[in-house]
Amino acid sequence: MTLPKIPRISRELMACRVAAEIQPGHVVHLGPGLPEMVPPYVLPSRGAVFHSGNGVLGFGPRPEHDIGDAQLVGSGGRTVTLLPGASIVDQATSFGLLRGGLVDVGIVEASQVSETGDLVGPVEMDGGMGSHAAATDVAEGAKLVIAMMEHTTRNRSPRIVTRTDYPVAARGCVDLIITDVAVIQVTPQGLVVREVARGWNLSDVQAITDPHLSPAPDMGYMSFWMMGGDLPSKVWKSGPEAVADIPDGATILMDGFAGPGGMAQYLIRSLREQGAKDLTLVSNTAGIANVASFGTPPGFLTIDHSLLVESGQVRKAIASYPVSPRPSQPSAFEQAYKQGDAELELTPQGTLAERIRAGAFGIAAFYTPAGAGTSLAEGKETRTIDGREYVLEQGIRADYALIRAHKADTLGNLVYKGTSRNFNAVMAPGARITIAEVDEIVEPGMLDPDAVVTPGAFVQRVVQRPADFQPYEPL
Amino acid sequence: MLPNKVASSVEEATADIPEGARIMVGGFGFPGTPEALVKALLDRGVANLTCICGPWYAGARRTIDASALIASGQVSRVISAPPVAPGPRSGATDPSSEDDRLHLEIMPQGTLAERIRAGGAGIGGFYIPTGLGTAYEEGKEKMNIGGVDCIFEEPIKADYALIRAQAADTMGNLVYRLAQRNWNPIMATAAEVTIAQVDEIVAPGMLDPELVITPGIFVDRIVISGGANDPT
Repeated sequence: MTLPKIPRISRELMACRVAAEIQPGHVVHLGPGLPEMVPPYVLPSRGAVFHSGNGVLGFGPRPEHDIGDAQLVGSGGRTVTLLPGASIVDQATSFGLLRGGLVDVGIVEASQVSETGDLVGPVEMDGGMGSHAAATDVAEGAKLVIAMMEHTTRNRSPRIVTRTDYPVAARGCVDLIITDVAVIQVTPQGLVVREVARGWNLSDVQAITDPHLSPAPDMGYMSFWMMGGDLPSKVWKSGPEAVADIPDGATILMDGFAGPGGMAQYLIRSLREQGAKDLTLVSNTAGIANVASFGTPPGFLTIDHSLLVESGQVRKAIASYPVSPRPSQPSAFEQAYKQGDAELELTPQGTLAERIRAGAFGIAAFYTPAGAGTSLAEGKETRTIDGREYVLEQGIRADYALIRAHKADTLGNLVYKGTSRNFNAVMAPGARITIAEVDEIVEPGMLDPDAVVTPGAFVQRVVQRPADFQPYEPL
Repeated sequence: MLPNKVASSVEEATADIPEGARIMVGGFGFPGTPEALVKALLDRGVANLTCICGPWYAGARRTIDASALIASGQVSRVISAPPVAPGPRSGATDPSSEDDRLHLEIMPQGTLAERIRAGGAGIGGFYIPTGLGTAYEEGKEKMNIGGVDCIFEEPIKADYALIRAQAADTMGNLVYRLAQRNWNPIMATAAEVTIAQVDEIVAPGMLDPELVITPGIFVDRIVISGGANDPT
């Protein structure tokens, strides 16, 4: 094949062009190879959080002179640096957050992309060695999937092809192809060229591309300017402002193992003031703190979920322990349930935690032995695995999570104190909007990345509990 | 009597791993790789192992990790994320036909992580969409759940997990440093016997409970490997 003899852009400029797709505050997965060149072209002040398959969130460029920390590598196994506000998660969480849709942009080096967006991962890197590795999870999980690659192989055959030559890592997942000559969008109508490198035109690009290319109406030269404004702040001034947009009928994850420790009491009170109705609460107890006392002074009630039940805002609870430990003193939810004012979906405690985690991490359903053979399994699919009966349980995905932590940084990274961690850490990734009520808000870099329990990527809003906030109300 | 979890050497810690054992090996690149434990297995020549690990490198390498164990010929079966390998072998196909010695079960990296976690957490299996329409779905049960086509994935457990952490207390509580964490915390939960190679062992109470990532109940043996911090 005769190739157009027009200069192509450098790998550095390709990285710069890819960086221009990243909006302030985006969580961005970078796969091995070319994507690892992107971080220097994104200012730390944009607050993009770079994720590597090994569980690092918030890494920066490679260290100067390659002198790095041997225990800190990125997707490609080479040392990286951490930016202020970084955190570390294990492998299951690292891929759970990909599957769960918490990654805004996934950037993978591709060996081939088909006209329908099928992806062949970097199987031909480094002289013929490569691996799909994380490519399947990234391509299926990230909201915007960018395939970054040189337009042709070393022996000059097209990488954008009608039929792939290798097994595909993922079907129909690539949204945007950025090469050293063009920016091409994958659409249901086929491949659309949005930009070409200077000196190139559509027919030059078509000459080194298998499938048919159409020009975008506004096709132009490659632009390396970053779009989007400032990093939106996650810090909200007050509880009422943070919960103001919760609509009627919302499903809300709310913690509280039983007592007030780990309960977002300021947010609960704010939600009562706000007045949203027909809520579904997903919580361990549906509110028993104020009948179990837990150190409440005489003449007062502990603020818990009961506030919302008493104000008639709760239509349903999904809970494991929605009854008072004192039969003589039933909880607000118990009374509402008995009067037919609220529905209950009873779930064993471990199953509840696992269902929330499954919903957060893109697991549709799972088999657990808990509850098999009891009334809790009624109407559910069961299966015998290795001689033991299991029940099929489905994930729970919520609109909001109201959680409680000890400290946050302004990027939403959280640390907890003592047993107040309980359901909070599980719930944080499980909602479209997670609001954390904390005792203290610090600058990025003030929390030890190894100590962060909930990465900021899971948290959309942070509110400080007022210093004079009283976690109980008069009887 | 309280069991003593501290082994005096990597040889002692791994002495009972028999031929044919299923072992998990932690690590992602250099960080978090229990190289001294792997080296003990290499030295002893334990054969016919099943190795469960993340992406590994086909061919000889200077590092001592899961790849070295697989390259040594002591492994007959690999359950892993896609290996870094030449050409199509690095894709989703089962390359066992190319090499009769090694049976490979390859899956997306996130699927492997979740299967190991499921093994540790007593989950009987789960449904996820990952890999639909690719070679990864072949031979697997499918179900539509809530409008989403999913693949059924089974849990993975092992006889032994060889993991790496920064420090342990004598009860086996572990803390990790930076990217060292990777596969280690989930593998620790999914094996009958979990053996942790650490840089330092301290008395109970010396690790901040808030910072412990792997509780000691998941860890059976701990061993200090001196000087193992340098890549081999």
